[in-house]
Amino acid sequence: MSDMTAHTVHNGNGEDHSHDHHHHGNFWTHYVFSQDHKIIARQFLITGIIMAAVGVLLSLLFRIQLAYPETAFPFLETILGKWAPGGQLDPNFYLALVTMHGTIMVFFVLTAGLSGTFSNFLIPLQIGARDMASGFINMLSYWFFFASCVIMLASLFISTGPASGGWTIYPPLSALPQAIPGSGLGMTMWLVAMALFIASSLMGGINYITTVLNLRTQGMSLMRLPLTVWAFLLTAIIGVLSFPVLFSAALLLIFDRLLGTSFYLSDIYIAGELLHYQGGSPILFQHLFWFLGHPEVYIVLLPALGIASEVVSVHSRKPIFGYQFMIGSMIAIGLLSFIVWAHHMFVTGMNPFLGTVFMIFTLVIAVPSAIKAFNYIATLWRGNIQFNTPILFAIGLVSFFITGGITGIYLGNAALDIPLHDTYFVTAHFHLVMGSASAFGFFAGVYQWFPKMFGRMMNARLGYAHFWLTFLSLYLVFFPMHFMGLGGVARHYYSNTAFSFMEVFVNLQTFITFAAFLGGTAQLLFVINFFGSIFFGKEAPLNPWKSNTLEWTTPRNPGHGNWPGDIPHVYRWPYDYSKPGIKEDYLPQHIPDEEVEYEEGFPKPATIPHREVSPRRVAEEAAEE
Amino acid sequence: MDPQSLQSLIGIAQILLVLIFGLVCVNLYLVFRLKEIDPFAKWNPHQINGTLFMVFMVVGTVAAFVSTGAWSKHFILINDPASEHGKEIDFMFDITTVISVFVTVLTNALLFFFAWKYYSKPGQKALFYAHNNKLEVTWTIIPAIVLTALISYGIINWNKIMGDAPADALEVEINAKQFDWTFRYPGPDMLFGETKVSYINEAESNLLGFNTADKSGKDDIITREIHFPVNTNILLKIKSRDVLHSPTLPHFRVKMDAVPGMPTSFHFKPTVTTAEMRERRGEPEFNYEMSCQQICGGGHWNMRAIVVVETMEEYQAWLKGQSSDKPYFVERENGAVTSETEANLTLNQ
Repeated sequence: MSDMTAHTVHNGNGEDHSHDHHHHGNFWTHYVFSQDHKIIARQFLITGIIMAAVGVLLSLLFRIQLAYPETAFPFLETILGKWAPGGQLDPNFYLALVTMHGTIMVFFVLTAGLSGTFSNFLIPLQIGARDMASGFINMLSYWFFFASCVIMLASLFISTGPASGGWTIYPPLSALPQAIPGSGLGMTMWLVAMALFIASSLMGGINYITTVLNLRTQGMSLMRLPLTVWAFLLTAIIGVLSFPVLFSAALLLIFDRLLGTSFYLSDIYIAGELLHYQGGSPILFQHLFWFLGHPEVYIVLLPALGIASEVVSVHSRKPIFGYQFMIGSMIAIGLLSFIVWAHHMFVTGMNPFLGTVFMIFTLVIAVPSAIKAFNYIATLWRGNIQFNTPILFAIGLVSFFITGGITGIYLGNAALDIPLHDTYFVTAHFHLVMGSASAFGFFAGVYQWFPKMFGRMMNARLGYAHFWLTFLSLYLVFFPMHFMGLGGVARHYYSNTAFSFMEVFVNLQTFITFAAFLGGTAQLLFVINFFGSIFFGKEAPLNPWKSNTLEWTTPRNPGHGNWPGDIPHVYRWPYDYSKPGIKEDYLPQHIPDEEVEYEEGFPKPATIPHREVSPRRVAEEAAEE
Repeated sequence: MDPQSLQSLIGIAQILLVLIFGLVCVNLYLVFRLKEIDPFAKWNPHQINGTLFMVFMVVGTVAAFVSTGAWSKHFILINDPASEHGKEIDFMFDITTVISVFVTVLTNALLFFFAWKYYSKPGQKALFYAHNNKLEVTWTIIPAIVLTALISYGIINWNKIMGDAPADALEVEINAKQFDWTFRYPGPDMLFGETKVSYINEAESNLLGFNTADKSGKDDIITREIHFPVNTNILLKIKSRDVLHSPTLPHFRVKMDAVPGMPTSFHFKPTVTTAEMRERRGEPEFNYEMSCQQICGGGHWNMRAIVVVETMEEYQAWLKGQSSDKPYFVERENGAVTSETEANLTLNQ
C-alpha cells in the first residue's frame, strides 16, 4: 500500500509499479480483497444492485397488501409462511417490510450503492490520481459494508422478524420487544448492521475527502474539478460530520435495550407490566436521529445532482450553466442541511419555538435547490442534446427534483405540516425528490460510466425502454400519493379500511400497486442490460461520449494505477463543450493549450494563456530533486 | 357455469394471453436477429426521445390536473375545515399551491420543451454559454423573496396555533396506548385527578393510573368516544403509556404526538358540528374520526375513535350520561393514602 501512495504523489514515475500491481495479484487480491478503487467501486455497485433488488421486492410485497387489504393470496403463504397466514400479510410483518424497504433503499442502495460506487470510481479517475489516499481503508470500507449487508439481510430470516419500527426506529417502539416482535433480535441486528455501515461510510468518507484535497494532478485546482467530484467531496464531508451522531444515537439505544439505561425511555407500562425506565426522552432520540437523518437526504441527493451536472453538460454538448453557482449552492445546501433537522419533528412535542427556527432554515434551503434546478434547465437551453441513455435519466432526475422538491415548501412550513405530517403527502414528497431523483442519478451514472467500468457499451435501446417505463411508472406511483396525503391517509397503515375517509382511496392504492409492478418489472430491463453488457456488450471506444474529463484518458481496461504512463496534467476546467473556434465540440482537460486544434480560419490566440502551476506542486517537485 | 370456475377460467385465459404475448415477442426478436434486420434502424433516437419528453409534458400536465380534479372531493385536509385555525391553514395551503403549481408546471415545461426543441440535429451546434450572473442572481432573489413571504406567513400562523391556550379552554385528556384511545373529562369539579403510569393496575381496571388518594379524580369521566362542544376552545392534553402515538383529527387540522413520559398538548376550536357536516357533505353516516399517525405497532392502522362535535347542550347531556364510577376509588378521609394505592405502589415496583 505504501508504495501505491508514494507513486500517486510522484505522479511522474508510477508506470512500472502499476504494471506490477496489475499482474501480481491473484484472484483473491485482485477481485475480492482488492485495494484498487475501480474494483471496490464495482463491488459497491453490484452489492448495491442486489440490495436494490431486495428493497424493491419488499416494497412490491407490501404494495400487494395495500392494494387488496382484505384479499388472501395463497402464494404469499407459500413464500412467506407464518408471515402471511392464510395468504394475507401479518400486520407486524407489514411494518417489518416497510421498515426494511426504507432502511435498505436509503442506506444500502442510495448511500452506499450510489456514493460508494461513484465516489470510489470517479474521484481518483477524474482528479488524476492513481488510487485513493488509502487503498487499504477503502477496501475495509467495502468489507464493513458487505458485513453490514449480510447482517441486515440475515435479520429477514429470524423467527421474530426483522426490525419493524420504521426506518427511523423511534424508541420506545424500537426499544421494547413487548411493543412489536421486530424490536427483539431483529432490532439488535439492525443496530449492529448500522454500526458497521456507519464505520464503512466513515472510512469511505475520510478517504474521499483526503484524496480530493491531496491527490489532484497538476493543474487540477479546486475550481477545475468536475461537479461530480465537488458533489462527492461535499457528500463525504456531510457524512463524516453527521454519521457519528447516528452512531451515538444507536449506541444509546443499544444501552437502553441491553443494559437497562433510560436515555430514551420513561414512564412505560406495556404488556401488563410497569417498566423501570425513568427520566429518558424519546424526543432526544429524534434529535440525534435527524441530525444525521436530514443531512442523509443530501448525502443521497448530492452525488446524484453531481452526476446529473456532468451528464447534462456532456450530452447537451454545452458547458454546465453557472459552474460557480452550482458549487456555491451545493456548499450552501451542505451547510444548511445541518440546521434543518427538526423540521421532521414539528408535531412531536418539541418546543414550538424551535419549530420557528427550523422552518426558516428549511425554506432557506429551497433557494440553493432552486438555483440548481434552473441551472440544469439553462444548460439544456440552446444545446445540441445527444439523447443517449444517461441524459434521459438526468432530465428525469431534474423533473423529479422539481416536482418532489416543491412539496417540501408545504412540509417545511410548520403550520401546514400539522395536517400533512406522516401522511402519504410526505411519502410522495421524499420518494420523488430523494428516492426517484437519486435513483435516476444512480442510473444516469451507471449508463454514463459503464463503458469505463467494464470496457463495453450498454444497449441503448434497452436503456431507452428502461428509462421511459421507469420514468412513467415512478410518476404514476408517487404522484397520486399526494392525493391520498391530502385525503388524510396515514403512512405505515397496514390497511386503509378502518377509517371512512381513508377507505375511499383503496382503489387508488390498487392503481398505484399496478404502476409499481410495472416499474418493478421494468427494472428487469436494466438488470438484463447491465449483466448482459458486461459479457456481451459492444466494445466501448475510449471516449464514447466525447467527454472532457480525465477518466476517459485511461486505457480501455486500466490496471491498478489507472494510467500506464504519466498522469495527465490539467489545463482547463472540464466544461469546454462547443467552445467557439475549437475544431471538435469538446476540449478535454488534459490537452495543453499549444496542442488545441482550432477550426480552419479561426485565428489562434496570439498569446498562450498563462498555465497555472500550484505553488504546492512546485515546492514538491523541488523537494524531490 | 358457477362464478368460481368462471373466475379460474378467466385467470387461465389471462395467463395464456401473457404467455402468447411473450412468445410472440421472443419470436419476433429471434426472426429479426437471425435475418439481421433492424426494424428500428431508421428511428432517430434524438428525435424520438425529445418528442417523447414533449408528449410526456403535455399528457402528464393534463393528466395531473384532471386526476387532481377527480379526486379533490376526497381531499379532507383542504376542504371544509372544521376548526378555526383550520381555515387559516387551508388558506395558506391554497396560496402555497398557487405558487408551487405555477413553478412546477413552468419549470417542468421548460425542461421538457428544451429537451425537445434542442435535440441534436445534423449541423446543429450548441451555444457556448457558461454563465450569466444576472440570471443567477435573478433566480436566487425571486425564490428568496417568495419564500420569505411564505415563511413569514407560516411563522405567524404557527405561533398563533402553538401559542398558549386561552384560559377558558375546556380540557380533554387523550390517553394513548397500543392500540386504542381512552379519553378523560375533568367532571363537575373541572379538575383532573392525578394519574401516574406507576399507578396503573389493570386487574382493578385502573387503566389510566389514578392516584386514588387524589379525590379530584373521583368525578373524572372516562370515555371511548371524544365529544367537543362546538365553538368552544378545547385544550387537548395528550399522554401515552407505552410507545409514541400521534392522535390526529384530520378534519380539524389537529395532530400532536403522544410521548411516554412527556405530556403534550394542542388547543383548537371546533366550529362545525357533526350534524352540520353531515348535512354539508350530504352523507348522513358521516363521522369525524381520530386516527394514529405515528407508527406504533401491529394495530397502528386500526386505532380509531369517533369524534363528535355537538352543541353545548348536547355535549352536557352526553357527559351526564357517561359514568364516572371508578371502583378503585375507596372513600376515606381527605388526602389520606388508601391501602389500595399502597398496594398499587408495591405491586408495581
